[in-house]
Amino acid sequence: MTIAGVHLTRIGKGNFLLEPLRGLNILDQDQLMSQIAAHVQQARGGHLYYDLNDLPVIDPLYFSWLDKLARTCLTLNIKMTCINMQPTAAFTVSQFLVKNPSFETALGVPD
Amino acid sequence: MVQKKDTSEKLNALFGLKVGNISTQLEEIGREFFCSSNKLMDEEEVTDLSSEFLHLMTGLLSSAEPQRRTSPQFHALEVFFSGLAQRMLMRGGHVEDVVRYAQNLQYSLIAALEADSGITFTQSRSVLMFFAQHFDELIMAIFRTYLLERENTLQAQEEELRETSTPIAEIWDGVLTLPIIGTLDSSRTMLVMEALLNRIARDRARAVVMDLTGVKNIDSQVSHHLIQMVRAVQLMGADAIITGIHPEIARALVSLNIDLSGVTTRASLSDGLKEAFSRMGIHVTQTAG
Repeated sequence: MTIAGVHLTRIGKGNFLLEPLRGLNILDQDQLMSQIAAHVQQARGGHLYYDLNDLPVIDPLYFSWLDKLARTCLTLNIKMTCINMQPTAAFTVSQFLVKNPSFETALGVPD
Repeated sequence: MVQKKDTSEKLNALFGLKVGNISTQLEEIGREFFCSSNKLMDEEEVTDLSSEFLHLMTGLLSSAEPQRRTSPQFHALEVFFSGLAQRMLMRGGHVEDVVRYAQNLQYSLIAALEADSGITFTQSRSVLMFFAQHFDELIMAIFRTYLLERENTLQAQEEELRETSTPIAEIWDGVLTLPIIGTLDSSRTMLVMEALLNRIARDRARAVVMDLTGVKNIDSQVSHHLIQMVRAVQLMGADAIITGIHPEIARALVSLNIDLSGVTTRASLSDGLKEAFSRMGIHVTQTAG
């Protein structure tokens, strides 16, 4: 299954790695969330790692997309963890964050 | 205009006549201010300095418009005095020395020309005005350099102080400690935050222990920055533990309605480290003997 704008790879039993590509259009988030969640659920995945390595800045719009995707996944019992958040991105998010995000964070995919 | 031109022509003619004598007197002034007790220059350097000054002054007087203080020739003189002030300050001299040197150059120049030419300059207001205006501007250049140097020194000292007051250390593989000492203000909190986040990324740190034992005061804005710092650390995937919060700061945080529910706090740095080790599955035991 191909999802426009993201690269979704199975990285172990029940784990998926999502790498956003340059072509990712978060304005089309409803369709994207459905497609990603469906793909992970069909493969009996339980954990989605969202790689933020290539994002130096995360604005409120992008953060909202991450939060919504995490909540969608949670309703399907899929845990979402954002990995490799850049210092600049962490700084910008901390400026507007008012409550804890729906996703977890980690330095990278655990060994 | 005609009078101005006459004045400069007169001065230029005077310079042309007795340059050798003036040069010796200017060197003596240089020796008095820079070679005496302070040893800021050697004899050779003073000779070079005096001849360079004389060369630049002659250049100004022989220029098309010696009265114009925006001319390249006058700018060259300004650069000369700025450079001299900078050099002397770097060698531990005082700005007063350079200013007095410039003033004495002016007096000596007038006196020497007066003596050599036989013209009483005190009766020639235009000649005195010419020198006074030019040297006032040159002294301003010296002060500007002095202030700039002072500003740069203060800035460098401030940066050094900031760096030494927030030492981030990797106390264990993946565990960073940040003892914060002194008063936290917004700009300092931002600097600490920047350094800390970059360090987490560089060292792939999994836990950060921020020790506030040395912080005595905290205000509303800074407490918000502190919470932002904790959130940013957590967003990067590391655990943030705050230790050593003084009762006064705890009371201030409560009265400011700061939500610390998502923040792990421990009484002391030692407790904070134990918590960090425990979360990472590290057990520190005392060996027998």
